[in-house]
Amino acid sequence: MSTNPILKISNVSRTFGAIQALKEANFEINEGEIMGLVGENGAGKSTLVKIISGFDPGFKGSYQINNKEVKFETPSQAEESGIAIAQQELSLIPNMSVAENIFLTGAKVKKFATLNTLAKMARPYLDQVGLTEVDPTTRINLLSVGEQHLVEVARLISREAKILILDEPTAALGEAESRRILEMVERLAANGKSIIYVSHRLDEIFKITKRITILRDGVSQGIQETKDIDVNKLVEIMLGRELANMFPSKADHISDDPKLEVKELWPDGVLEPVSFSAFKGEILGLSGQLGSGAGEVLASIAGALQSRSGSLTLNGETFLPKSPSHAIKKKIAYCSSDRKKDGLFLGRPIFENLTSPALGAISKYGFNFGSSEDNYSRNLAKEFLIDVKRMHDESGLLSGGNQQKVALGKWLSIKPDVLLVNEPTRGVDVGAKSEIYQRMRELAARGITIIFASTDIQEITYLPDRVITFYRGMMIDEHRLEKIKTPVILKEITDPFNETNL
Amino acid sequence: MSAIIENNQLPFSAKFLQFYKDRTLLAILLSLFAVMFIYGIFFTENYLTITNFKAIIRDAALYGIMAIGLTFVTLSGNFFLLSLKETASICGVTFAMGMATGFGSPDLAGNFLVSLLAALTVGVVSGVIQGYFVGMGGNPIVVTLGGAGILYGIGAWWSDNLVINFTRPHDAEWLGTGSFLGLPSITWSFILIAIAAEIVLRHTNFGRKVYLVGANKAAGKATGHENFSMAIIVFTICSVCCAFVAVAFVAQMDSAQSNYFSAEFGSSGDMTILVIATVMVGGNSIMGGYGSTLRTSLGAIFIAMVDNMMVLQGFNSGPRIVGVGLMIVFSIIVFGLFAKGSRAQE
Repeated sequence: MSTNPILKISNVSRTFGAIQALKEANFEINEGEIMGLVGENGAGKSTLVKIISGFDPGFKGSYQINNKEVKFETPSQAEESGIAIAQQELSLIPNMSVAENIFLTGAKVKKFATLNTLAKMARPYLDQVGLTEVDPTTRINLLSVGEQHLVEVARLISREAKILILDEPTAALGEAESRRILEMVERLAANGKSIIYVSHRLDEIFKITKRITILRDGVSQGIQETKDIDVNKLVEIMLGRELANMFPSKADHISDDPKLEVKELWPDGVLEPVSFSAFKGEILGLSGQLGSGAGEVLASIAGALQSRSGSLTLNGETFLPKSPSHAIKKKIAYCSSDRKKDGLFLGRPIFENLTSPALGAISKYGFNFGSSEDNYSRNLAKEFLIDVKRMHDESGLLSGGNQQKVALGKWLSIKPDVLLVNEPTRGVDVGAKSEIYQRMRELAARGITIIFASTDIQEITYLPDRVITFYRGMMIDEHRLEKIKTPVILKEITDPFNETNL
Repeated sequence: MSAIIENNQLPFSAKFLQFYKDRTLLAILLSLFAVMFIYGIFFTENYLTITNFKAIIRDAALYGIMAIGLTFVTLSGNFFLLSLKETASICGVTFAMGMATGFGSPDLAGNFLVSLLAALTVGVVSGVIQGYFVGMGGNPIVVTLGGAGILYGIGAWWSDNLVINFTRPHDAEWLGTGSFLGLPSITWSFILIAIAAEIVLRHTNFGRKVYLVGANKAAGKATGHENFSMAIIVFTICSVCCAFVAVAFVAQMDSAQSNYFSAEFGSSGDMTILVIATVMVGGNSIMGGYGSTLRTSLGAIFIAMVDNMMVLQGFNSGPRIVGVGLMIVFSIIVFGLFAKGSRAQE
């Protein structure tokens, strides 16, 4: 293979404030190649992708296209050079037609064009991505999410993109739709497009890519030929250490004293009512992909999501929380998966975040003159290894890992009996991850019942004492201690009924 | 420089802005005061007199009190109560009705306490209702614009659009035109309300919740602080402030008409715009979560100073309204620039 990379990035670094998102990244891609880009959350994938696609001009290092040094100030300049990106969140306009969405920028379109002309123009692009049966005049919101992803890609092709970046295109998709995306990727590559495929789903990476670039802590770990490497090796390079060392050891045994009994809970997104118990001082993991219902079950225990039926029994009381504040009164704490949305008050100081659920406890007759709050937040900060000197800084200035520690740590202020955590380490660097796992284990050892939901398979395998698996809104199975095995869980959360014969 | 980054884990500029943000903004406001003041001394006659300064604070007091009420709404992330002048209007009419007719029972006519309570009750009711709809998820602009129409309409309907007079001497003179230790009652009210509001915001759980909910509603809900009750309380606080100002103003004029706060009020025509301007000039964040009633009070005094100077320079009301408009634009630009520098990066 005569290899002359059409895109080559060498020794690129990028800092945001104190955070070094990329330290030394190298990347290249050949014509017609599918290059996988993998790395943990926080390893610098999204930063690299932003640099390649021109969203982030503020980096240091060399960026060459066809052996020519380039410098993109804006994404549209990158697009002119044939680089286009399909983001994880779609940028389609839901109530416009497929054809209109494809030609949204209006380039190449006459000043006056009817929908029919646009539809004719859109046809070849739709065929290329495998949407042969879709009528270009259909409104976008009548298509499935997977089809919408394909339309998004068709739009990129219509602008004559040579290098396509697909950022987790299958993250929100089921098996069948994912396969359509993969087929499309392979077809496009066969037509000479170069594709940078970013994904957490290692099975997909192995299935379609030719080479893989692995990022770890902002440093690229060299390019691997896909056929020379297996999953374990890949994961080891990604993490930089043996998987198991990141996690504290599990409990010796699981108490048989049920702390929280969940009976017939039935929130939206779950097919049938769910019942299970959680024991005192255990870490229970709910495992499932997006849309499996695991996160929904967790949210409904916390009152953040309404349940149609059912009840909880905690400390001898039976109730169904109607709102988060109801659950908080019953000593149930819930740390959601999106800390920026509803986990943190980003513009407010750290100490206010830490005491926010427990204002009643730090005040006297509703008045709060600071000293008790000071002690309170300092103790929490010490316990969660948050820098005490920065207590008066805005929490938004912290790194992702420290933000997560604040988001989680604030719940200790209500002295919870049950701690629910959805995605405990999303967007968190490796070091903070390990600290958070350690902390969760200590809290469990103190007798707090911890239930967490996660889509991260390592976390689900190595952290909890017990795992319950979910698939498409159904509870599948339960595993304990040493019976928790990655392949079994993977099977149960992706294809428990042998539908796909993968 | 690199050493600083290592020690503090933050670039120096961000650290500096973060730490001094509050002080910097305050310094800007204070230096503007100083510039105004010096300009006034040298270029305006009758500026440097005690009487004039009393007049400035007195002017600031009326819309300052309403602006303090509105600050709670804005800080809690519920944008603005746009029915400010209409709330004041209906409360003023209620108070004057009480003073003039005793609501139909001649025994109560002229009874200050009953009239005051009636006016405050109207304020509470309108605040609770508007807060309820906003708390249920209604858009504050739509809800309070609708509220504005309804409140104004009821007041006009009830009073037949007439001026309601009540003659001196009456029991409300002390509030309208009276003074204590050389300062008018309304100035005292402004000072007391400003201090009380600042204490509530800084040192009570409720105050903390105002900031938290304003900074992030979803996170507020997740930590047990719902915007539902918050919206009701802040809109009620704001409406009660409007009611109080209306009572003081009507007591001063010995009369009320439903359009007093649209046309006749002060120098700058429209009360609502003036009050919103005060909150903005004080540098409170429109999105909520950042600001204080202290800033609002200073904003009120600043606007009053500018207005006062323009009066002494002989401008009539048109250019003065332009002046208020320019102040809003200016303050939004200045505060916007500074706030941006200190906000965390994604």
